[in-house]
Amino acid sequence: MTATVAPAVGPAGTLVARRTRGRVLLLLLSLAVLALIAVASLTLGVRDIDVATVWQALTAPVAGNVDHDVVLDQRVPRTLIGLAAGAALGLAGTLIQGVTRNPIADPGLLGLNAGASLAVVIAVSLLGVTAPLGFVWFAFVGAAAAAALVFSIGAGQPVKLALVGATVTALITPLITLVLLRDPAAFNTYRFWAVGSLTGRGMETLERLWPFVVVGIVLAGALAHRLSMLSLGDDVARALGQRVGLTRGLTAGAIVLLAGTATALAGPIALVGLAVPHAARRLVGTDYRWIVPLSAVLGPVMLLGADVIGRLVLPHSELEAGVVAAALGAPVLVAVARGKSVAGV
Amino acid sequence: MTALADAPRSPDTAGTPDPGPVEGLRARRRRRLAVVLTTLAVLLVAVATLALTLGEASLAPGRALAALFGAGDAGDVFVVHRLRLPRIETAVLAGAAFALAGALFQTTLRNPLASPDILGIASGASLGAVWALLVAGLTGLAVSGAAFAGAVTVALLIWLFAWRKGLHSIRFVLVGVGFAYLCSSLLAWLLARADVREAQSALLWTVGSVADVRGAELVTLAVAVAVLGTGVAVASRWQAPLALGDDNARALGVPVDAARVVSLLLAVGLVAVATSFVGPLAFVALVAPAIARRLVDDGGAALTVSVLTGALLVLAADVVGQHLLFGIQAPTGIVTGMIGAPYLLWLLATDGRKSLA
Repeated sequence: MTATVAPAVGPAGTLVARRTRGRVLLLLLSLAVLALIAVASLTLGVRDIDVATVWQALTAPVAGNVDHDVVLDQRVPRTLIGLAAGAALGLAGTLIQGVTRNPIADPGLLGLNAGASLAVVIAVSLLGVTAPLGFVWFAFVGAAAAAALVFSIGAGQPVKLALVGATVTALITPLITLVLLRDPAAFNTYRFWAVGSLTGRGMETLERLWPFVVVGIVLAGALAHRLSMLSLGDDVARALGQRVGLTRGLTAGAIVLLAGTATALAGPIALVGLAVPHAARRLVGTDYRWIVPLSAVLGPVMLLGADVIGRLVLPHSELEAGVVAAALGAPVLVAVARGKSVAGV
Repeated sequence: MTALADAPRSPDTAGTPDPGPVEGLRARRRRRLAVVLTTLAVLLVAVATLALTLGEASLAPGRALAALFGAGDAGDVFVVHRLRLPRIETAVLAGAAFALAGALFQTTLRNPLASPDILGIASGASLGAVWALLVAGLTGLAVSGAAFAGAVTVALLIWLFAWRKGLHSIRFVLVGVGFAYLCSSLLAWLLARADVREAQSALLWTVGSVADVRGAELVTLAVAVAVLGTGVAVASRWQAPLALGDDNARALGVPVDAARVVSLLLAVGLVAVATSFVGPLAFVALVAPAIARRLVDDGGAALTVSVLTGALLVLAADVVGQHLLFGIQAPTGIVTGMIGAPYLLWLLATDGRKSLA
């Protein structure tokens, strides 16, 4: 008996080990790509600065050196913001898709960005807030309110959820426009925020916000295993001893933390949260314990990558990260829509 | 209106001597259709009359109507014919066009939520117009042309990418949502690039307003809507069978693929024409047919009811936006969105109980 079972365990064991090794390699590889993109983000731009000078600026900055000033005042903040916002967006999208079991969900599609935008507009126009630091709390509240509305109407029905999100966006957008048409100063502040960019926020915002990103990432990591169970269905998850309602609540909290922070940091960026989880799923399969960390790496790869691409496509000018990210994300949505799984949703 | 929709259906024909169940049903439907159409038409005339009387120079209904037919003093005639009538005509034409397009999209794709707003066709038109205004520096009819081109281009791209061994409804919607995001992202970018004043006037364009269409433009709009509307009338005999599903429609002798292509082309044409003149009026194309379907439950006839509902919605939204919104002059598209989106949310929230299609 034992003799027949023992050899069967061996290959299965090595198969699991090999798969794990492959996934670890993949994760390390994407971390390496991220490191490369971060270096590119520090060096490339309207003013190209070589790696040695960047290193010098980081370790032993010389006051008055223009290259060093550019690196420290502009490149480092936008790179760090890209890393934080990208990770937050990638994870928020993963959590939304996981908790709704919906392949087409992302913070923009679900109206969270619109909610955050309306709150920011109200802050700017009616309450006279102008510092990006002041937007943050409004972006949070707006995103949370929109999330509550959308989930309460569309929970459990994938396509309907997306359409409720689109409808909430369509309800909120005219309200935003009405305020902006009547207040040119607010419009001027808002339009630069709305396009979605990694510049112009400064380190101050990130210094205040990084704890939210960290809490969100930790929550996402802690919830990964529960999401894997939840992806088998509510009943299975319950049978495995999970409190489904608690998982949903914690996930919703993490989503609002992550999506709210990302929107506050970089503006309403479309489709990063949608594209990243799909890429991660295609690479490591359906286990959220792998999807979550990979999304946290691929998010900044896409957002910071979009930012770097945006610096290179126009001579002497830049395309904002939000525009490039949408251009990269739209084909992913088309690919998802053309895939077989969606037709059955 | 809800009273109409919920009216009991059986007792009316009790007195007639054995009309047979089918004839009885038809008679009831005809009667209900007549009642709904009459009510909508009366409301439309009433709101139009109200729109004639309201404004900076308030006219009594009698004076306004007299001026409409050329009587009364020259000032009144000028105000009515030059300022207020074109606006009313534009609202009615645009509302009718959007509603008809929405009804075609929804029955053809068999999805009650398919509309140019969600599918990105409206954002395509906005993108075209804003590009023309801010980048190319065009004005007047050229802007309308650019909006038209934007709407048609996006529609064709959605078509191209959603086509995979036929036109699947959900696929069409999702690809459309993708394009909506792409277009609005580019739109935000164009707005952030431009001079703040120009950007603000372009922003106004993306909302949609029936205020400034008159003369040759109005005639062009009217002719285009009439031509496309005639096309829809010819194609409308396919709508009811199509709503039953491809196989049933085919069994009834409808050339399904051709019918779908023709219907969608007509719908795209209507959206493109209307949007190019008045901008994307949010959610008219979505809401008007949804209301119409609740007033009468008949695929073919719902087109007529949709047209009247749409015209009424836009005209009413314009009157509200101009005069009744707490002293704020709001562009038409903002008010249609504020009326349309909550209604749709309510439809979605109560979706579990009833089938919408």
